[in-house]
Amino acid sequence: MAITSRMVRRRSPVKRALLYLAVIVVCIVFIFPIFWMIATAFKTRAQAFSWPPLFIWEPTSRNFIDIFLKRQTEIEAITGWELELATGAEIFFYNSAIVTSGSIILALIIGTLAAYSFSRYRPRGTDTLMFFILSTRMLPAIVVAIPIYFFYKALGLYSTHIGLILLYTMFNLPFAVWMMKSFFDEIPRDIEQAAMVDGTRPIKIFYKIALPQVVVGLAATVGFLIINVWNEFLFAMLLTERSVRTVPVAIASTRGEVGINWGLIAALETLYVLPAIILIFLLQKYLLRGMTFGTVRGV
Amino acid sequence: MVKVTIRNLTKRYGRFIAVDKLNLEVPNKSLVVLLGPTGAGKTTTLKCIAGVLAPDEGEILFDDEPITAIPPWERNVALFFQTYALYPHLSVYDNIAYPLKERGLSKPEIDRRVKEVAEKLRISHLLDRKDPSTLSGGEMQRVALARTLVREPKVFLLDEPISNLDAKLREEMIYEFKRLCRELQQTIIYATPDYLEALAVGEKIAVIKDGKVIQYGTPQEIYYHPVNKFVATFVGSPPINIIEGNLRIENESIIFQEGGITIDLSDIAGDWVNRLSGDKVALAIRPEEIIISRERQADALRAKALVAEPLGHETIVLCDAGGNEIRVLVKGFINVRYGEEVWLKINKQRIHIIDPKTEEVVL
Repeated sequence: MAITSRMVRRRSPVKRALLYLAVIVVCIVFIFPIFWMIATAFKTRAQAFSWPPLFIWEPTSRNFIDIFLKRQTEIEAITGWELELATGAEIFFYNSAIVTSGSIILALIIGTLAAYSFSRYRPRGTDTLMFFILSTRMLPAIVVAIPIYFFYKALGLYSTHIGLILLYTMFNLPFAVWMMKSFFDEIPRDIEQAAMVDGTRPIKIFYKIALPQVVVGLAATVGFLIINVWNEFLFAMLLTERSVRTVPVAIASTRGEVGINWGLIAALETLYVLPAIILIFLLQKYLLRGMTFGTVRGV
Repeated sequence: MVKVTIRNLTKRYGRFIAVDKLNLEVPNKSLVVLLGPTGAGKTTTLKCIAGVLAPDEGEILFDDEPITAIPPWERNVALFFQTYALYPHLSVYDNIAYPLKERGLSKPEIDRRVKEVAEKLRISHLLDRKDPSTLSGGEMQRVALARTLVREPKVFLLDEPISNLDAKLREEMIYEFKRLCRELQQTIIYATPDYLEALAVGEKIAVIKDGKVIQYGTPQEIYYHPVNKFVATFVGSPPINIIEGNLRIENESIIFQEGGITIDLSDIAGDWVNRLSGDKVALAIRPEEIIISRERQADALRAKALVAEPLGHETIVLCDAGGNEIRVLVKGFINVRYGEEVWLKINKQRIHIIDPKTEEVVL
């Protein structure tokens, strides 16, 4: 890093200005949609549709209140239909949280144990099994969507929390196994062997000696799994009704109705991306390690 | 505090045979050194005794009881790892205390023993350190050594335990290992690639190469009576002089000839002549068994001095005798001019004869 900063300092002012300009342009391209989403969330319906677009306005918290407090809309009042509006949104956040945490805890427990045994005991056919596990992720999800829909209907798992949790656990397991195995492979065996000689039994070696050495790996894996599940749309759409609906599906369902209220949607979206953004900031150094399968040293 | 017997121990890693039908008996309360180059199978052997590696064949016995089926956590042996294998998430104190905690000792007893061993290894000031990976190599080695020595196991297995320590601490540790064995009546198996360390530490030395024990004996036996060329060259510094040449019988005397060198070996004639596989032989002479002088001597080789390498208490002189490089060890300092004529008188009673085909020492 020291070398790079020295290189920047030596550049001429013109070059530096150009460099910053490029950075600013790139930032605008990537950050503007997010900014616009947040801006819209604080606008009234009229402000959201105004042309030219408003950059200075008096922010309103109306949308945030409306997505949680269910109020009858004008159309509902006239027709008596219940519209798929994003009101009473706390249920969607509750569903997303339950499904995400449930499936991640399951995938992490099963995946870590499997990864440890593959790494340390190398049962017969480990390489084949590892490939098999990975291959379950090679099929596009849409291919199995219809069969799974019928399975779930038949098994009574349709539109249940446990149904989604099981499904996401299955999707996340290959990821958890592969990532955690690479982290276990990295820690030297001598340390666990030393613990054996010092009188520790294998189960205790797993959680007292091996696990503390892969906390970074655990954090990285958790980060990736949360992003996977929190953002999942296809199966959540296919397998849930309103009571079990997750946030991404709720956002999408809100859209197609009569008289789109962009302010409401933007407010919902803002609250939806917030946990993901916070998480990514908290875990960014671990996520980087996870992406390179643990090969970044000295972070 | 047990006798350790290893019978036909074999361990393979894929196609590579790390330990090949190794046999060894380590008497109770003795200190045996496994001496061999890197990759000879020393570490694998120790790990098999500790039980962290399962042998492919053969068995290991403690006091004539097979222990191969006993898992490592019940074997009660202490193993010092060449890689130190410190627990990275535990403090220095907790690293040393770990084996005692696992054995359920009382807190005050653990504290007393940890502090005692830390004192001995001069790491008391490091006990509070949270992250052992911030220690220097020598400090890590001492912490790992403390974690090994804090215990009272059936046998101590030490894999290159002092390789990274400074000279003074090395000497003290060698004394400490000997004391452990003699005073506290412990059985110790000690692996090292350093022959000087092996000679200094060991009551008996097992020279290991390619997973086999080549020679097993006291330091004197290993040094003065090597069984083959490998042991002769591996033990000793400066290395033993080896001159390959022909043997012929002339007027009932046995003459060794190579290039410009002729040596009459009649004085040491014996049964070995008949055990040679051919006319070719190799002579092996330790540098300290040759006397160098500037005056012509009877029965001495004429040579040219090349360079002198003073070591302080002695000097190595490299000479050229008829096209053969010969090293001579001389007490004190000596200066030689390049190309100066010198005479080398070999102590014939100390000559080893090696059969170049089998590489075995026949005398």
